[in-house]
Amino acid sequence: MNVVDPFRNNLLTRHEVGKRLKAQGKLVVGWSCTSTPEEIIHSMNAVPVMVFGNLENTKLADVHLPVNSCSFARSGFNSVLKGDYDYLDGFVTSRSCDNRNKIFDMWKHYSEIPFIEFINTPHTRTEGAYDFFFNEILRFKSSLEKAFGETISTSGLKKSVHVYNRNRLLLKKVYELRKREPPLISGAEALEIMLSSMIMSKEDHNGLLESLIEEAPKRVDPPKSGVRLLISGSVLDNPELLRIAEIAGGNIVIDDLCTGSRYFWDPVDSDSDPWHAVAERYLRKISSFSMIENEERFKHTIEMTKQFDVEAVLIFTLKHCDTHLFDAPQLINELKNLGLPALHLEWEHSQRGLAQLKTRIEAFIEMVSGVG
Amino acid sequence: MKKSYEFAHKTKRAKKPVAWVASTFPVEILYAMNITPVWPENYASLCAARHVSVKLCEIAERKGFSRDICSYARCVIGSLYEEKERLPEGGLPKPDFLVASTGACVTHFKWFQFVSHHFKVPLFLLDAPYNISVGESEHLENHHITTYISQLEELTDFLEKQTGEKLDRKQLHETIVLSDRTSQLWEEIQNYRKNTPAPMGARDAFSTVFYMLSAPSTQEAIDFYEKLRDEVATRAEKKFGITQSEKFRLVWDNLPLWFDLRFFEYLNNLGAVVVAETFSHVWIGRLDPSRPYESLARKYLTNFANCSIDRKVALIQNLVKEFKADGVILPANWSCRMMSIGETIVKEEIYRKLGIPCLILDVDSTDNRNYNESLVKRNVEVFLQVLSEKNCES
Repeated sequence: MNVVDPFRNNLLTRHEVGKRLKAQGKLVVGWSCTSTPEEIIHSMNAVPVMVFGNLENTKLADVHLPVNSCSFARSGFNSVLKGDYDYLDGFVTSRSCDNRNKIFDMWKHYSEIPFIEFINTPHTRTEGAYDFFFNEILRFKSSLEKAFGETISTSGLKKSVHVYNRNRLLLKKVYELRKREPPLISGAEALEIMLSSMIMSKEDHNGLLESLIEEAPKRVDPPKSGVRLLISGSVLDNPELLRIAEIAGGNIVIDDLCTGSRYFWDPVDSDSDPWHAVAERYLRKISSFSMIENEERFKHTIEMTKQFDVEAVLIFTLKHCDTHLFDAPQLINELKNLGLPALHLEWEHSQRGLAQLKTRIEAFIEMVSGVG
Repeated sequence: MKKSYEFAHKTKRAKKPVAWVASTFPVEILYAMNITPVWPENYASLCAARHVSVKLCEIAERKGFSRDICSYARCVIGSLYEEKERLPEGGLPKPDFLVASTGACVTHFKWFQFVSHHFKVPLFLLDAPYNISVGESEHLENHHITTYISQLEELTDFLEKQTGEKLDRKQLHETIVLSDRTSQLWEEIQNYRKNTPAPMGARDAFSTVFYMLSAPSTQEAIDFYEKLRDEVATRAEKKFGITQSEKFRLVWDNLPLWFDLRFFEYLNNLGAVVVAETFSHVWIGRLDPSRPYESLARKYLTNFANCSIDRKVALIQNLVKEFKADGVILPANWSCRMMSIGETIVKEEIYRKLGIPCLILDVDSTDNRNYNESLVKRNVEVFLQVLSEKNCES
């Protein structure tokens, strides 16, 4: 058995995992943006799970959503219409882009999930934005309490912060294993580990991570040496895309993704009042492209390339993802100034055009490695 | 419009402050501080009307901007790399600073973020919380209003720092009074379109709504709208319609095809007249000069571009009833998420609530490569046929 198998198995059976948690008496609440303060949901004895669709066509969603909408959001919505997420007790989304704001309406109109909430996450990090967001956090807490008849206590939140911080710390240790040359964990595997942390109970995931960290150095099948790559993008839930690059001679050693390092890099300050600490963390964590402070984000990406000894960058932008499409030219320039080649790829969640992506990735890796 | 670009270039030459502004930004404050606003969105529509938008979009695409992002943005970004002499109105004057709001879309600030980086000038972002409640402004959540007001205070500080001048509260008061008057006049003009036959069509509305967006707080706007109001009133009184054989009355959502405003004449020739545009109605809103910042907050936070789709449904429902419309055209703008996602809900809800059919058209306001004229026109003609059969039945 491969050391990553337990993560992959959970990921591949994520709806069964969700249903099992429910059978154990847990509430299961879906979320769609990594700026959702999961600890608050967790502290009312619920399991927050990220909602994403399958890598397939989105016939049901296409009836309601135009083709120029985000295909990631469309596929999640398609799964909802198919009934894959019927076990959800609630769904929380937050303000980050025009796609997400409008798809909130779709969920409200067409899904039968009993509780749907929207968190107004600011696009700036000023003091005023913080005050507003802190209010939103408290409003969100009351909204959960009212909907589920639970009381969310400060001590409960502290405990949840502890569980989540533990997960962040362990994930960072896993990422450390990728600093080696060759890395001990491949990029596709790292993504499977990341995604599985979003769909199962954090306590269980922490257990799996502890065994992995122990077992990984002894593994008999580590990745082979290859071009060290960083991947940048928003949400990416398709390990196959990464596998294409790794089969072609690359090693994805670090990422700059919502479903990657941006999800766990910054912990919640466990020494201060947890409500403020949660607000602070979710507003001021590594900036996503939907924040006005994008220069900071570029700096973070560049810092990552140094820490992980990166030779080239793959930028995966979902089609119609405006926020990332606007920043891509600037990011490419910043990387080029550092002598880092970058390839910008627009991809469709349904895997349409995969063959073309494959050809471009292979040619890029060949060029970077100086082969051919 | 031409004059406004000449004025902006003149201001720039005189070394007075020029700001680039995105729509749904409370422009009243800029007027109160004698700052000349320049509207890149308006410039993109002008480039489309002059048939140069595609060329400019292509320049932006060669710079790495995806063909799927906002065609307004691509058009303006492209113009930054084109020689001034080859651009309509000599291009846009370089901004001293930029101001944008999230009130319409995230795209506005992503676009302005790039421009800010390009020119190395500061950008002020007014972060308007997204409004998911359907209600009118009195139902806005308190912390939404307070955060907007406190950002207006921060904006004032920013503008004072940029211009080196203090905001004169008396001038702000006057600006708010003027803006309120402009809005009232525009509403009066729109109300005349409730008459049958409608005395004004969409082409005239889209050509004159400019003042509402960009210069609501100027005497020039008031003078222009008073004249327009009188003209429309006379036409209404004389029953002089935009088309003499008015068979279908339509509500039009989102933007027009800026590169082909004659599309509305094509509709008129088929006996269809657009009696109301959502775009003409979203900018209407009363302002109270005794509470300038609060009333600006209420006005802009309830603009439907900043609200969940239910608010758009409510507005269209109201327009259909008030303007006695037979159908609704919903142009889904290819490069705009905000103007295309949710139109299916509008279509279903309007039909469910009023029994009025809606037609979704796949178009783009500025990039006519995303516009299939024959397909669009065929759909329109079938739609009018449906309306015609429906009218016969009733």
